[in-house]
Amino acid sequence: MTIAEKTTITASDLKRMLDNGDDFALLDVRNDDEFARWCIEGRHKSLTVHIPYFVFAEDPDSAVAEFERQIPKDKFVVAVCAKGDSSAWVAEEFLRPRGYRIANLEGGMVAWGSYYDAHDVPESADDIVRIVQLERTARGCLHYIVNYGIDKAIVIDPPRHFEHVLQIAQERGWRITHIFDTHAHSDHISGGPQLSKVTGAPYYLHPYDAIHPIDVLPANIEFEWLSDGMTFRLGEAMLKVIHIPGHTLGNIAYLLEGKRRYLFTGDSIFIVSIARPDLGGRGETWSPIWYETLTKKLLTLPDDVLVLPGHFSKHSEARADGVFAATLGQLKQTNDDLRKTMNSSKEEFVAWILSSLPEFPPQYVDIKRVNAGLLQPDEEKANELELGKNICALSSAYK
Amino acid sequence: MAMPFDKELDVRGAKCPVPVVKARQAVNELQVGQVLRVLATDPGSVNDFKGWAQVAKIVELVAQETETMDGQTVYVHYVKRIG
Repeated sequence: MTIAEKTTITASDLKRMLDNGDDFALLDVRNDDEFARWCIEGRHKSLTVHIPYFVFAEDPDSAVAEFERQIPKDKFVVAVCAKGDSSAWVAEEFLRPRGYRIANLEGGMVAWGSYYDAHDVPESADDIVRIVQLERTARGCLHYIVNYGIDKAIVIDPPRHFEHVLQIAQERGWRITHIFDTHAHSDHISGGPQLSKVTGAPYYLHPYDAIHPIDVLPANIEFEWLSDGMTFRLGEAMLKVIHIPGHTLGNIAYLLEGKRRYLFTGDSIFIVSIARPDLGGRGETWSPIWYETLTKKLLTLPDDVLVLPGHFSKHSEARADGVFAATLGQLKQTNDDLRKTMNSSKEEFVAWILSSLPEFPPQYVDIKRVNAGLLQPDEEKANELELGKNICALSSAYK
Repeated sequence: MAMPFDKELDVRGAKCPVPVVKARQAVNELQVGQVLRVLATDPGSVNDFKGWAQVAKIVELVAQETETMDGQTVYVHYVKRIG
């Protein structure tokens, strides 16, 4: 059966359709607020039509007429809602009986928000380390598994769902030996402490990020302390800890030296834009620190390091092979906010940053509490906190 | 904060789209001016009832409350038939 003949599709099917640029339309039946806050995006633009399910409940004929006005009859349609039941109801009750080719996205936006994709980083294919970039597609979060030696691996920035991480490690015969967070995240819940419990591998974090910046309370989690200049020998390769305060006070980049050099920048330098310095609630104090970090600790690294970031904001930032990566030298040419940083004095940088900050998502304060072990959400609450795309970059893409 | 109502629809435990769909059917049984009280546990129902009331021709959303019943958070919607 081809995808276009199915009556339900999975988040994985949808990702392939979006990546391939297949010709289909999305019918989103959530309410206006949910739709405005977050909808499905891919590398290619697809037709998205928004008709809430309660319009079908209230007046099916006018809802169907609206659907027919916006979507050509022969188009394959994917119906989407928050959890997958309302869109299934709309598809089955009103649209398939009228002859439309329509499939329901199983699990809705919750399933889409928890979907993970993996790409081997080809630059490391013949290296003594092998890097797998994992993406949480809907949220724009990236994390990594790095294989070293014959059968060992480290994990960088694991999310709270980490079954796919364990699965990849198991399939490839890798044992997880270290778990690193680049910082205490604001936009998503870290899987670090839990993955540490499951695997027995130590979890590393910079101690400055073990204090909630707004509550000023110490974290209630177990972790090993990172400090600037620390090194980890990974077989023949070396992982160096670079303390890069500014996005958070304990922000870390990891420089991995194999046959070539890779820089896991976490939330600092992205493919497009740079990380924002205000999510700890102290943009005025942290912006000057951020300038020092960017100009003296990151931009001074060699141009040939391959930057592997912690986020993306648009799928179009990926290369043709699906990987989000570029050398620092390339980014000095293509990343406008990085260029602007390079060409600014500290005073200019601070003024620019403070006048360009995107909205501060209120749930980010609670997410940091969760990551500090100060708050324990159930699954539903965790899903709610993590709704929508990350807003960790300064980028105008979010405005 | 008990509001007067004429009929009640208990859809506790039901997921979206059931609360709105059942409420839409129950409104047909009301006389003009009568109020239906809907008990739901789906947090999404709060915005969905608002959205429904905006597009509905014969319905007004009179009030929404959050209560705790039997240790559960319940979203209570008061829906009036106006036409």
